[in-house]
Amino acid sequence: MTRWLPVRWPTVRWPVSYPLALVIALLALAPVGVLFGLASDSAQLFDAHNLRVLSNTLLLMVFTVLGSIVIGVPLALVTAYMHLRWRRLWLILLAAPLAIPSYIGAFTLYAAFGPGGEIDRLLGLPMPAVDGLAGATLVMTLYSYPFVMLTTRASLLSLDASLVNAARTLGMSLGASLWRVVLPRAITGIAAGALLVALYTLSDFGTPAIMRLDTFTRVIFVEYNAFGLSQAAMLSLQLLVIVGLVLFLESRIRGSVEKPGRHLLLWPGPGMKLGIVLAAAPVTLLAIVLPLAVFGSWLVREGTGGFEFSYAWNSARASFLAALVAVILAVPVAHAAIAGKAGRLMERVTYFGFGVPGIVMGTALVYVGLRLPFLYQTLGLLVLAYVLRFLPLAVGSVRSTAEGLDPSLVQAARLLGASPREAFQRITLPLTVRGMVAGAALVFLEAMRELPATLMLGPTGFETLATYLWRVYEAGYFGRAAIPGLLLVLISALGLALMLSGERRTEFATETHQG
Amino acid sequence: MLKVSNLSVNYGSTRVVDNLDLALADDEVLMLVGPTGCGKTTILQALAGLVPISGGEIQLGHWRSTPSKAVPPEKRNVGMVFQDFALFPHLTVEQNVCFRLRDTAKADHWLQLLGLDDFRHARPNRLSGGQKQRVALARSLAHEPAFILLDEPLSNLDAALKDSLRWEIREALKAAGVPAIWVTHDQEEALSVGDRVGILKDGRLEQLDTPEKCYAEPASRFVARFLGEASFLPGRLQGEQVATVLGPAPGVPINGASGDVDLLLRPDDLSLTPMETGNGVIDWVRYEGSSRLYAVNIDGGAQLKVRVNHEVRAQPGEPVHMAITTTHPLAVFPRQQ
Amino acid sequence: MQRRTFLQSLAAAGALGTLPLAASAVANGGVSVEQLPPLEGDITLYLGRGEGGLYENVLDAIRKRNPGLDLKVRRGSTAALANSIVAEAKAGVRRADIFWAVDSGAIGLVTEAGLARTLPADLTGQLKAGFQYPQWAPVTGRIRTLPYNTKRLSPGQIPDSIMALADSDLSIGWAPAYASFQSFVTAMRLLEGERATADWLRAVSKHAKGYAGELGVVMAVERGEVDLGFANHYYTLRLKSGKPDANVDLAFTRNDAGCLVNASGIMALSEGDLPINFIRYLLTREVQSYLASEAYEVPLVDGVAPPRGLPSLDTISPPKIDLTQLADMRPTLDLMRSVGVL
Repeated sequence: MTRWLPVRWPTVRWPVSYPLALVIALLALAPVGVLFGLASDSAQLFDAHNLRVLSNTLLLMVFTVLGSIVIGVPLALVTAYMHLRWRRLWLILLAAPLAIPSYIGAFTLYAAFGPGGEIDRLLGLPMPAVDGLAGATLVMTLYSYPFVMLTTRASLLSLDASLVNAARTLGMSLGASLWRVVLPRAITGIAAGALLVALYTLSDFGTPAIMRLDTFTRVIFVEYNAFGLSQAAMLSLQLLVIVGLVLFLESRIRGSVEKPGRHLLLWPGPGMKLGIVLAAAPVTLLAIVLPLAVFGSWLVREGTGGFEFSYAWNSARASFLAALVAVILAVPVAHAAIAGKAGRLMERVTYFGFGVPGIVMGTALVYVGLRLPFLYQTLGLLVLAYVLRFLPLAVGSVRSTAEGLDPSLVQAARLLGASPREAFQRITLPLTVRGMVAGAALVFLEAMRELPATLMLGPTGFETLATYLWRVYEAGYFGRAAIPGLLLVLISALGLALMLSGERRTEFATETHQG
Repeated sequence: MLKVSNLSVNYGSTRVVDNLDLALADDEVLMLVGPTGCGKTTILQALAGLVPISGGEIQLGHWRSTPSKAVPPEKRNVGMVFQDFALFPHLTVEQNVCFRLRDTAKADHWLQLLGLDDFRHARPNRLSGGQKQRVALARSLAHEPAFILLDEPLSNLDAALKDSLRWEIREALKAAGVPAIWVTHDQEEALSVGDRVGILKDGRLEQLDTPEKCYAEPASRFVARFLGEASFLPGRLQGEQVATVLGPAPGVPINGASGDVDLLLRPDDLSLTPMETGNGVIDWVRYEGSSRLYAVNIDGGAQLKVRVNHEVRAQPGEPVHMAITTTHPLAVFPRQQ
Repeated sequence: MQRRTFLQSLAAAGALGTLPLAASAVANGGVSVEQLPPLEGDITLYLGRGEGGLYENVLDAIRKRNPGLDLKVRRGSTAALANSIVAEAKAGVRRADIFWAVDSGAIGLVTEAGLARTLPADLTGQLKAGFQYPQWAPVTGRIRTLPYNTKRLSPGQIPDSIMALADSDLSIGWAPAYASFQSFVTAMRLLEGERATADWLRAVSKHAKGYAGELGVVMAVERGEVDLGFANHYYTLRLKSGKPDANVDLAFTRNDAGCLVNASGIMALSEGDLPINFIRYLLTREVQSYLASEAYEVPLVDGVAPPRGLPSLDTISPPKIDLTQLADMRPTLDLMRSVGVL
């Protein structure tokens, strides 16, 4: 028996995912609408001071993006292609800064360096102070380069090895082949990571505050605390203009689409191995070892106290729910983004949330929540806030896996008699599950370290690792920050391991594939 | 002259290539064949320097590569043609071929010779598979490699194209006068274009010889089966003659065979005549266009395959008469227990 | 460590009534918890400050003493909670019964919105003169101080007038973005006028280094990055309690904004006796002396001793100023921004 696909007259018909994606995009725009409402009674639009803030913000963003590319892309090449011992451990170690909130990193770097800092005190080595634009760039780069590393690495893994092999056998050196043959094809991956870094830098508050750099987030925070709510909203809208610009620039970058092929593997010599270790060591030392060491020394010096394990459970529970919901919502948005131009726009809209500083998003959602009293001050509203802020992480991850999917697979399923729905459930979904797990893990990591929205929107009395850390940090009792800080890193590291575990099988298959 | 001695390659704890010895004459085309997983692609990658070797050495002209002192691919002056063409998608045909060339005269020469003149400014994605592989070949040859490696260059092409392109490539290689190692899993391709053929099994070279020798006097039953239809008929070797149920036949002993032996029969070593009082019964038949392939169960238990003109017609179950028609000596293997 | 043993002993004692009454040796002022009625029912507190569990310990002790009390606590930055309270009121939702705020700006925002109840006179009467307000009760005070590096400066080198610092050649650490600093500038504005304040800010900014918060200022002073700083008193005292040999000490100006005594405050937002009685607990001598000895805050109830390492409130001559006026932050921010320090 032969079954035929229903032949449809080509009509202007929206893909099935559009209505859902539209609803989600509108939901993501709701906080922006609240901001317009709050900003409408503001007096000042722009002044000379804003110009300085604007240039600081842009400089920090540009330098952080450049720094993340300089660190993230070579590390992506190493972790994707180099045949190293314990490569999985390397990968987890190099991605681990994602598990550390940048405010913790900024604070420990600040505490460790400079005259009279922890390094000076413990080792007697005088160190230059880390602060200002340079300090903020260093910290932001150290804690956001994994975004570039992971997205670039995913692109690199999907490239066919024979082009590099061809270039090399034609007499091009390895470095030149990677530069000229590999990187141009990984440009979309690099751009996707750079976008996340740019948005993350724009919305981060802790680092510029600790490093004493006047950026939009810091000025927004100052205004907010001085009860200039409308001015804060106005500044947030200005920040959103930059976010919009970044989103637009990223969407202009187009890479080539090619079929995945054989996986490239390189066998570095001993000298090269040493070089890799020497180059990666300072990054890991500064981003991971230093904060853990500082926490450790505080733990030894001041001991623990006042900490309850329910905080860790609260953190994990809320973050897990957020990850789950974000991935469920990400599927139609990613589907719409692939389906057409309008869908692509809807997808872009959801990215705004990632660029809104947490305290502004928190305030906006207080207003939204007050319209829905059954949601106000419940875990549900907090999860919604997490989802709105971090949805792009899930969307990006799901979309890029779905884009890499061979369309003939779905066609094959349809020809075997499956409905579009069945083909989606039985082919597309299982094959994109890796991207979904990775996206969920990213959302989980970010939600774990989110602070301002957690404080404002959680149920009354809901204490998480991040809020507890904030409490003790603000009061200057650093010793008590050690246990929650270490736990935060530990739980996040588990999320990270989960995210990276999906790759194992595919990599194994390519490694052992020999003709 | 390319010289490979004792070459071994390991992946983790698995040995993929085991003690390989090879030497290539100056314009020789060597075919490497074997089933999937026999290590043939790995050998190419090791020769190109794309995977590290665990033992032995590779030597060509002024360079010599060993496990401790590997020569990087770009220093080996090796050309490689890939199964999936590996053309740079962002460069035109001409730019691909001129990739690292200062003097483009060579590129013009090969573009012309391979009939690619009209496509100079096209991007690879506009070309057909055969054209793509010609560009890839032109690119390799224009860079004047000291030797060239071809990794299943025809496996992604249409069957009709394969036949002609196979010869085009061979002629181009001969015209360039470079030694080549060509990996394939197609035994017909291996036998027809190679000056010599190497048959691989589990990372070891089972036999390395001229196509005729490999086909007619295979070093093992594996080689015999891999290179074409092979039937084995029990017999007894006496001097240079083998006595079988189909009568005597001239024999060459392999691996010191004597006494009870199995005689290797190719489908064209036999004749078949439908006959009520025959010595066998047809099991199945395959129509091949100009010929038919019959499988015949003969008295005594063995099954033999025979290829005859399509005009000879018989149905499964019909009795037939079989005879050995060849006059050249046939390979004789020790009887299997 | 000392702080820990205190906490543990408090936890072991379990109730406020058995707190070691360190204050009683000095003076017998304030109301004791023994004199207060038990608290019963549900109550939600918005707490605009963390304090690493110290306030939580006070709240825990109150919970233990009053088993019939179901106390829920929402924490957050003071400004965020104040904004939430106002937004909730606009939406006709009320979640908070009491609001404990760290700075007077937040108190001003909520009282001006007409959301705070008037407190009974016998409650406000427990507080020192100058700290009695009809709609909110100061819980503890913090003094503006000049922490200085003891290796780089001697006390004699420090002027006793905040305005004189403008013309000194000392290097100064400050945190202009910090709410307490902004309250201090507001006080200066009210006391000295817009112009003098602007000149002062401009002059100081020439030899000042900015920090994120005042803890950072005190740490920088201790490291010797700057000679002296502007900060609330307790950061220095806490730093010294963890590191007794720290190179930092406190200096005070006289009778100007430089030694302003600001306060954290609490207000009742809902009707009934429960919120009022809850506030009474915070003004008992047990709680006041606990916050003094552990958080190094200045008790504002008559007759409770100040924290160790701080001169008594009577020996400091703070300016006379209505703390509620400090809520008027907008002109301060505009001023600071116009001279380019924010």
